Amino acid sequence: MIVERFLCATCNVELMSAKQFFIDRYAKLGWTYKEPQVRQAIRINQVSAMGKKLPERLRSLGVEIEKVPFLSAGYWVNSTKVSVGATAEYLLGLYSIQETAAQIPATLFHALPGKNVLDACAAPGGKTVQLADLMGNSGTITGLDINKQRLSAMANHLERCHISNTIIYNVDARQAKLLNRKFDRILLDVPCSGNFAGDRGWFNRRTLTDVERNADIQKVIFAEAATCLAEGGEIVYSTCSLEPEEDELNMDWAVKNLGLKIQKIDCIGSDGLTEVAGKKLDAQVAFSRRIWPDRTQGFFVCKLIKEPCS
Amino acid sequence: MKPYETFSSRFGGHFAFNPEFIIEKSRRFYLLSPRLKRMQSNFYYAGLYLGKMKDGIFFPSFNLLNMLVDEVANKVVVDSKASWLYICGRDVFGSGIVKIMGSRHKGDATLVLNEFRECLGFGWIADDLGGSTEKVAIKNVLDIGDFLHRETRSKE
Repeated sequence: MIVERFLCATCNVELMSAKQFFIDRYAKLGWTYKEPQVRQAIRINQVSAMGKKLPERLRSLGVEIEKVPFLSAGYWVNSTKVSVGATAEYLLGLYSIQETAAQIPATLFHALPGKNVLDACAAPGGKTVQLADLMGNSGTITGLDINKQRLSAMANHLERCHISNTIIYNVDARQAKLLNRKFDRILLDVPCSGNFAGDRGWFNRRTLTDVERNADIQKVIFAEAATCLAEGGEIVYSTCSLEPEEDELNMDWAVKNLGLKIQKIDCIGSDGLTEVAGKKLDAQVAFSRRIWPDRTQGFFVCKLIKEPCS
Repeated sequence: MKPYETFSSRFGGHFAFNPEFIIEKSRRFYLLSPRLKRMQSNFYYAGLYLGKMKDGIFFPSFNLLNMLVDEVANKVVVDSKASWLYICGRDVFGSGIVKIMGSRHKGDATLVLNEFRECLGFGWIADDLGGSTEKVAIKNVLDIGDFLHRETRSKE
């Protein structure tokens, strides 16, 4: 069912601004639009920065940081006298610049060290570096991305942060089976429509056709990843889209078609929607987390497992 | 000798590489763990990138320079002002050097470390160290500011 058509039924897109259309859409999903106050964030690379008193060093440079309460290594930048992307500490790989909500998915895996991990849409590598850090550079991370130019940026990121457990391929995630490997953990930070927080032109650029197209691509990537997941393995799916087609509806589809189960997670945000435009979704979808824009950008995250055969 | 070995030997110490785990791909060298080595085939990037050969010259990675820090003899520690200028691409003046380890001789290669003993890059000793503080002592060859140049180039 193309839900957006239903959502459009009560409004005429032609007669209203794109912004108003989406604001009305979000209201139907239970959220009242307010201008987000997204704060710049960094993530300390625990392995590289161990014992280096990085918060104190940053403060001495005039960078005032505040611990993000729901992240173990995340800090908000309250004020700074220097560009946080040009300090020696940044160039030495002691920290990365990473949006607050984007720091959540990698932290949701259980027992990462030593595992075989797939980062299916990896470039430019922010979450890959975070995974490597959480793994203490143990095990292996296989990173895939279709865009070679973005892989170049990713290679620089890995070098800057001295990551040693990662192998990256210029391979489309929709063809992950070609690697002929099974993975214990899979991060699916899939390409998505994004959201308006921190992107002034978003409302004028995005259409529901984009959303539909992205949702279709996400399903193909999801199905491919599920076949590469070892029994007992975990998938964390995330988008920075607020559109249910790319979020809850895909989770509902995955539960019904890929033999995966959604796990409860300890994460900020609200429960995933279990009814979208009159369509009832699997009750497990409520375990996913929807983060409406506020101090972070908009985000959606869900953890799924493939139960071992009895 | 492999290019990374030749390069490393210029710093006056001995650094042993295990060739079994070093893979060359498109004139780039990568140090792989045993697990990654079993997975390697037609990759774009893997393990610890050590550097690349281009037009007959070896360009080291910062991973390689970091590996050398604990092993090789030639390194200088510079003060905070000289550190900042160095990562902005400037040379090191004698006045900015707070400690010298290994060679002091003109023409030798040396690592440049900040006051926290973190490697900022490497350069050639431009004038015998320990002499004038007013002259360029270390000619900057590569510094971590290179990451910013790469970002700029990739955006272009």
